[in-house]
Amino acid sequence: MLLGLVSQSLLSGVTNGLIYALVGFGIAAIFRGAHIANVMQGEFSVVGAVVVDVLLVQIGMPYWAAAIIGCLSGAALGALIDVVFIRRLVAQKAPDDSYLLFTIGVSITISAAVLFLFGREGHLLPPIGSGQIFIVLDAVVQEHALWLIGISVILMFALRYFYRRTTLGMRMSAAAIDPDGAATIGIDVRAMRTLTFVLGGVLGAIAGILITPIIPVSYMVGLPLTLKGFSAAILGGLTNPLGAVAGGLVIGILEALVVMQMSSAYKDVVTFSGLILIMIFMPRGLLGRAGRAGG
Amino acid sequence: MLQIASLVSGYDALAVLHDVSLHVKESEAVAIIGANGAGKTSLVRAIAGLNRAMRGAIAMHGADMTHLPAHARPAHGIASLLENRRLFGEFTIEENLRLAETAGRKLRPGRTKFEWNDVCDLFPIVRERGATRVELLSGGQQQMVAVARCLLLQPDLLILDEPSTGLAPKVVKDILEVLGALRDRGMAILLVEQNVGIAASLTERAYVMSLGRIVHEVAGEEWRNFGTDERLAKAYLGGGREP
Ligand SMILES: Nc1ncnc2c1ncn2[C@@H]1O[C@H](COP(=O)(O)OP(=O)(O)OP(=O)(O)O)[C@@H](O)[C@H]1O
Ligand SMILES: [Mg+2]
Repeated sequence: MLLGLVSQSLLSGVTNGLIYALVGFGIAAIFRGAHIANVMQGEFSVVGAVVVDVLLVQIGMPYWAAAIIGCLSGAALGALIDVVFIRRLVAQKAPDDSYLLFTIGVSITISAAVLFLFGREGHLLPPIGSGQIFIVLDAVVQEHALWLIGISVILMFALRYFYRRTTLGMRMSAAAIDPDGAATIGIDVRAMRTLTFVLGGVLGAIAGILITPIIPVSYMVGLPLTLKGFSAAILGGLTNPLGAVAGGLVIGILEALVVMQMSSAYKDVVTFSGLILIMIFMPRGLLGRAGRAGG
Repeated sequence: MLQIASLVSGYDALAVLHDVSLHVKESEAVAIIGANGAGKTSLVRAIAGLNRAMRGAIAMHGADMTHLPAHARPAHGIASLLENRRLFGEFTIEENLRLAETAGRKLRPGRTKFEWNDVCDLFPIVRERGATRVELLSGGQQQMVAVARCLLLQPDLLILDEPSTGLAPKVVKDILEVLGALRDRGMAILLVEQNVGIAASLTERAYVMSLGRIVHEVAGEEWRNFGTDERLAKAYLGGGREP
């Protein structure tokens, strides 16, 4: 019985932690490729999930088709935000804080649009797979949780490979590290930034589609997702997908332990205190210098 | 090959280059000298496409590139080594070079000027420490990598903004040796230098800049004596700076 309690809460810690990591992936990608703290990352997830909900539940499209279109909608939204807005801010040499204000503004706008078009109530997507349930170490495991864990881990390695080994990934990093240096060796810096937002949008949408069978999507969930995603990403060093997973797991498991030991009322207090301590003693994040560079 | 006519350029709306005209012919090594703030770096940035041309024209091989974005200019045969090198510190030597090789100019097979192996032969450090992150190298080693990176763009004209700044005399000598070898192989060079002695040792001609204009052109005997002729140096570079 006790074993069941411990393993159940660990499992929920891991699942939640990977949810935070999934949101953190997109935040890290956009910070790495554009040096922008993207406060609207959670809205990519909301839009992706809402699109899939409409196509799947209301129109009756097959799951895979709805999921692909959901990801494409994240990509399109990312491209739109860069081409229509960010590009102008960059051309006018806007100071850093204007990007922060801009993404906060977009986040509020999207959340209002979702409220207007989609209503107040939350919507759950059906889980991936056949909804089977397994018992592992006395804990109940949903099949969807396994998909979420598996896809997060695959995404983490895929992103790492993308940034370290592929020409496109390296160009995207180079364009952000030194735009002038990158341009003089023939890298189209503006295009790399647009692709960075496309990548951030797709990652956000994937996160939304994986999260929504667990957390109902509504106009309100974008900002909380962003906050947890940021915590995970910052804890991991802010540019590194591996770091986002490490950070997400630390937060998720810490939360689960607090809920098990005390009460869920203290969850945020204790976890954020823990975060503050980690950031004081490891200001570069859990993975240190390697976390910043490694990708 | 490079032809600049009545160029006005600068930062945002502020013009710092006024009516600059100059040219570099095939296989020619030309220097640009001038005191601090004369506009040398601004000129390099304008040629590289990083600063907008407000008036005038820049052409390479007769093709106009006045308003071409910076990333499209290597395809016309220019490679610019900017001030402070601008390498990607967290990438390895090899990654820095491969990025230039793949993003830069594509010449037809068989016409490539610098193959990977040529560059390794010119710069042994590429073979010896290819997997080392660039930020861990000394300034001189980084400068070598920066020149190597330019060569992999397969340029016809190499533009260098004060490649000797901040380096020990021995290292400067090494770099000059490499640049001299490149010049002897027929690479055209546009060298920005404050150190007239260094500039005169590598180039056959020079433009003197002051306050954003080209105020004088020197060649031949006069240019060879420029570094040692106190009066000339003083007149053109202002103040009693060391040549
Ligand atoms: N980013 C910038 N924004 C606005 N003005 C600038 C900028 N950079 C340089 N300037 C101005 O342009 C003029 C020329 O500067 P530039 O850097 O081209 O000179 P330089 O000849 O390269 O000098 P140095 O020998 O010190 O490198 C100076 O008056 C400088 O103040
Ligand atoms: Mg300069």
